[in-house]
Amino acid sequence: MKRLAVLALVLLAVPVPVAAQEGPRVTVSELLARAAEITGRVVVEGELIGDYGLRGNGYMWTQLNGDSYAYEPLLEGGALTGGNVGVAVRIPEEFVDKLGGPGGYRVRGPLVRVTGQWEYHDPDRNGESYIDVLSIDVLNPGGPLSEQPNYWVLVAGLVLVVGSVFLRRGTGWWRRG
Amino acid sequence: MLIRPTIEDFQVVASNLGRILTLVGFAGVVPLSWAVLAREWAPASSFILMIGVFLALGSLAARIRVPKQRLDWSHGMVVVALAWLVVPAVAAIPLAVSGHYSSSLDALFDGMSGLTTTGLALVQDLDHMASSLNFWRHLLHFVGGQGIIIAALSIFAGGGAVTLYLGEARDERILPSVRSTARFIWAAALGHMAVGVTILTIVAWQVLGFSPNRSLFHGLMVFFAAFDTGGFAAQSTNLGYYHSMIFEFSAGVLMVAGTMSFGLHYALWKKRYSSVMLNLETRTMVVTFGATLMLTILGLAATGAFVEVVGLSRYGFFQLLSAHTGTGFSTISVPELAGWTGLAFSGVAVAMALGGMGSSTAGGVKSLRIGITVRSIVTQIRQVLVPDGALVARSYNQNGKTRLTADISQAAMSVSLLYVALYLAGAAVAVAYGYGLQDALFESISAGANVGLSVGVTDPSMPLLLKITYIAQMWLGRLEFVAVFALFGFLWSTWRGK
Repeated sequence: MKRLAVLALVLLAVPVPVAAQEGPRVTVSELLARAAEITGRVVVEGELIGDYGLRGNGYMWTQLNGDSYAYEPLLEGGALTGGNVGVAVRIPEEFVDKLGGPGGYRVRGPLVRVTGQWEYHDPDRNGESYIDVLSIDVLNPGGPLSEQPNYWVLVAGLVLVVGSVFLRRGTGWWRRG
Repeated sequence: MLIRPTIEDFQVVASNLGRILTLVGFAGVVPLSWAVLAREWAPASSFILMIGVFLALGSLAARIRVPKQRLDWSHGMVVVALAWLVVPAVAAIPLAVSGHYSSSLDALFDGMSGLTTTGLALVQDLDHMASSLNFWRHLLHFVGGQGIIIAALSIFAGGGAVTLYLGEARDERILPSVRSTARFIWAAALGHMAVGVTILTIVAWQVLGFSPNRSLFHGLMVFFAAFDTGGFAAQSTNLGYYHSMIFEFSAGVLMVAGTMSFGLHYALWKKRYSSVMLNLETRTMVVTFGATLMLTILGLAATGAFVEVVGLSRYGFFQLLSAHTGTGFSTISVPELAGWTGLAFSGVAVAMALGGMGSSTAGGVKSLRIGITVRSIVTQIRQVLVPDGALVARSYNQNGKTRLTADISQAAMSVSLLYVALYLAGAAVAVAYGYGLQDALFESISAGANVGLSVGVTDPSMPLLLKITYIAQMWLGRLEFVAVFALFGFLWSTWRGK
């Protein structure tokens, strides 16, 4: 009995893993696939993308993508792996200052880990589903990406345009039928 | 006996096709300008290539000697069917070289989907796509929604304009001449654009809190996709991205405007409100919308996903509106829509199959055909019940009273049956590849009726033959069969004719 009591004390003294305090770690895909089953707090990783919608009520709305492009952008040699996988996040405005601009064309958005409440068809938001963010860690601040013009495409296009003008000599662009 | 087309027939077809390709080539300057202004050089070079291909094809056609033979009915139909194949193929060039597609076929899929205002998409990593390419995808909705032939006719309407007009699934001439009708259609679209983009931009800026530039961008994209009942969106989460009832409402109004026939737009413009209310299409659409909405809401309530009535109504109403108008916008995720079973599935699927009004930007069987079919059946029943020798009045109201003849009834029923066959054929191909019947049917209806809602079958990894099937369905559905059949007949005559 004494041993059991000691064991219980030891178990209580062991720090609870952080993830358990914060909620289960899920991917965005899992969250969308089991949207109705998952409840309470979740920890999700992904890239903030699109726009930062500052609605003037203390919150900012944006999208968090948990797809492969968040980790390996196409413009940095990432492979095509299908469509984007995103979920809406509502972030308190006080967190916005520590975030870089959202991702988009030639911009890698901040890669973040958010802890938040999964709100599935929230009655207070007239049925919307989103993660209500409680804390946010920036894993990678993101930044600009570069893309070079495709000169072969450009040259081929110019040749065709000039060739078309040449072919049109004497016929005009419109001819009445 | 089949008569083989002469060389003059080919010349007439090529010459008219060339003019249409030239016109679309000039339209390519719009996204090119966008790309230059946004300093998006890689997309800019791809737009130059696309313009070059359009102009080169148009110029080659222009070198063909134009015979004295005028454009007749079959020529017009063949030109329309070919234009709706070649334009999406060339328009897909910037998409194909963008790096966002696994293959040229995938880019063609999106080109056809954009132009036919379907909205199914195989694009990958849309959220990192260049704004000019995204703009081009949406502009395809605008060009295809009003009609590429309509665009051509509003500029050059020579002999045979009527057959070109009819070939593009427009059966209602609003004004005395085809050219003036074509110009009215474009004027109505541009008028809605001015108002629609302004409202959406203000909502995005003031309510959603986007930056002014991005608000204008989203306003434009959503306008093109809503008014032209397209369904593409600037972000991967589609209209669910905006999380705003006001924004959804604004888009919804434009979706309704887009699904209305341009004849009704004209009646509203002329303040003939009673004509709008008495119109068979208006009444049919109100009834079918009410019935399918009830099915959807009851089905959704049974799932227990929503715990309060506002959310249930909001999501049920919007998805149903999106399906019935043929828009294809979605405010829920693909996995969630795939989970809609029973009555909710039936409501949305039936609404998609029925579609919007004739001579609008929407697809599907169309309310006019449904109304005529029902009216014909009711008239037949009443005829059986009245005494011998008595005649039951046969008429319906569409911009005035129209006599319901056997030919009209037969045509409406035939095309309706062809749509059912199209939906079933597409579903059969998907089922053969191992997809579930419900998913296969849903996706096939979505493609054939040019809607764009998806339960996940449409994906870059889907089988090649299924991609081709959906491309063909989008093409056939948009042209309402006749022009495509005429093209097949033309080809058959070339091969087997004497």
